[in-house]
Amino acid sequence: MRALAAPTFRQSLAGFVVLAQKTAQTKLTYRLATLITLLSSGFAYCVFLLVWREVYRHDPHAGPLSREQMMAYLVMAFLVNSALIMNVETRFLQRVRMGLVTGDLLRPLSFVFFQMAQATGDVLVNALFAVPIYAAGLVFAGSALFPASLLAAVLGALSLVLAFFIAFSVSYLLVQASFVLQSGYGIFFARAALHQVFSGLTAPLVMFPQSLRRVAEWLPFRCEIETPVRLWLGHAELGDAPRLLAEQAAWGVGLFVTGELVFRAVMRHHQVQGG
Amino acid sequence: MSAVGFYWALYRTALKSVAEYRVDFAVGVVTAISMQLAALTFYWIVFTRAPALGGWSSGEVLFLFGLTAMILGFAEATLNGIWWLPWYILDGQLDRLLTYPVNSLGFVLLSRPELHSLGNFCAGAVSLGVGWSLLSPPTYALALVPLWVVSGAIIYTGILVVVGAVTFRVVGPWVSHLFAVHQLLNTSRYPISIYPRWLYLLVMYVLPFGAAVFVPADFLRGHGSLWRALVIPPLAAFGTALVAKLAWDNALRAYQSTGS
Repeated sequence: MRALAAPTFRQSLAGFVVLAQKTAQTKLTYRLATLITLLSSGFAYCVFLLVWREVYRHDPHAGPLSREQMMAYLVMAFLVNSALIMNVETRFLQRVRMGLVTGDLLRPLSFVFFQMAQATGDVLVNALFAVPIYAAGLVFAGSALFPASLLAAVLGALSLVLAFFIAFSVSYLLVQASFVLQSGYGIFFARAALHQVFSGLTAPLVMFPQSLRRVAEWLPFRCEIETPVRLWLGHAELGDAPRLLAEQAAWGVGLFVTGELVFRAVMRHHQVQGG
Repeated sequence: MSAVGFYWALYRTALKSVAEYRVDFAVGVVTAISMQLAALTFYWIVFTRAPALGGWSSGEVLFLFGLTAMILGFAEATLNGIWWLPWYILDGQLDRLLTYPVNSLGFVLLSRPELHSLGNFCAGAVSLGVGWSLLSPPTYALALVPLWVVSGAIIYTGILVVVGAVTFRVVGPWVSHLFAVHQLLNTSRYPISIYPRWLYLLVMYVLPFGAAVFVPADFLRGHGSLWRALVIPPLAAFGTALVAKLAWDNALRAYQSTGS
């Protein structure tokens, strides 16, 4: 029997794009649920905004950022966070729990790219919702939401792509713990807690107490939210941009490779539960 | 067997069932504590930048954090089943339940306690304890804490039931509408006086989380009166429970089975 030829790069890419499109279509079927999730998380996020508004009302010099800069940062942080919401953990756990992972391993598109294509589909739908969020943010934060310059916009967009790569890789790596725990619940919320604290979602790192900031600087989460927002808004010096982007790329590649290596190692010993 | 006896037996059975998954339990508790710590980290960041928030000191805000987490924990430990309603409907389990000679709402609520609630409850108790040690409210107020926590849990569950009733009409495997209520509860972690007027009115009177958290905490910090802290939380809980029962009965009348 002759083995099937491995797909060419072009075929793999075509498969990736089709899968991303199909995921987006599926997600759009549940658009009401997506919209409600977005509205409720937007509402929850308003609490952070209102708390900071109160802090600045009391003391306009509460931190290194002005009130306008802080509001623009928070709105953009919410926008980036909403754009990067992916169902990697849910899908991964479903494949493992139901034993579907065995079939996935036989597909021409590797498992990690299979998952990444679906995550891309999630982000495509999120991008649709990002437009009205940005418009609403303009009411709240005004022109401070605009990119500092055309170059800042390009750097911010590039950084957002890298942030997606990191966010996906973090999820893909952490979710492997489900092979040990047989449950994704803890992983999902542990990741959410780490993300909420260290990504800069609720405040930029310059507002953090020194000790917390030091910890955050050693973790990848700030590269998911804080870095693209700072670049877009021009809060980071342009001279720092290459270093920030390189840092993001390094985290992304490192986490992606680690996740894939862990997955391969786990698969050598994994016993499928039988569905 | 009396109705109380029946529900107690049901609850104990459900509790034993979820306690079987010990790793899940341990992970759940750690996770719940880490989510509370994440929220407290934001509190830490804010209070390194401001001495007070809307006139509330850092210790006073801990009362709000503590009560909110205890209410969430207690509700999850007792009346958590509403989160499973979409799957009860999809799987046809609700059809079977409706043939039982019991109150369907009570049965649904008590059927799925969540053991990670222990993490939320303990984190809340510690926050409240730290706030207490910083501000030393009258000792007799300790006796009122269970009343506030139970009232808050009823209010939270009641609102979940009202919103959850939508599931009878819009059937699907999603709980985002319930999650919205969960997010709303988090507004009570901070003084509601810092919110815009419409939001203040919403969480104080329409979805009265503030009645169970803000009013008692205001009393504990020596600003609100005792009678308000004593009367308003149970009154709000009674009103919310009544509305929830009406919403459930009304939704049940329009219920059409999924045929599963």
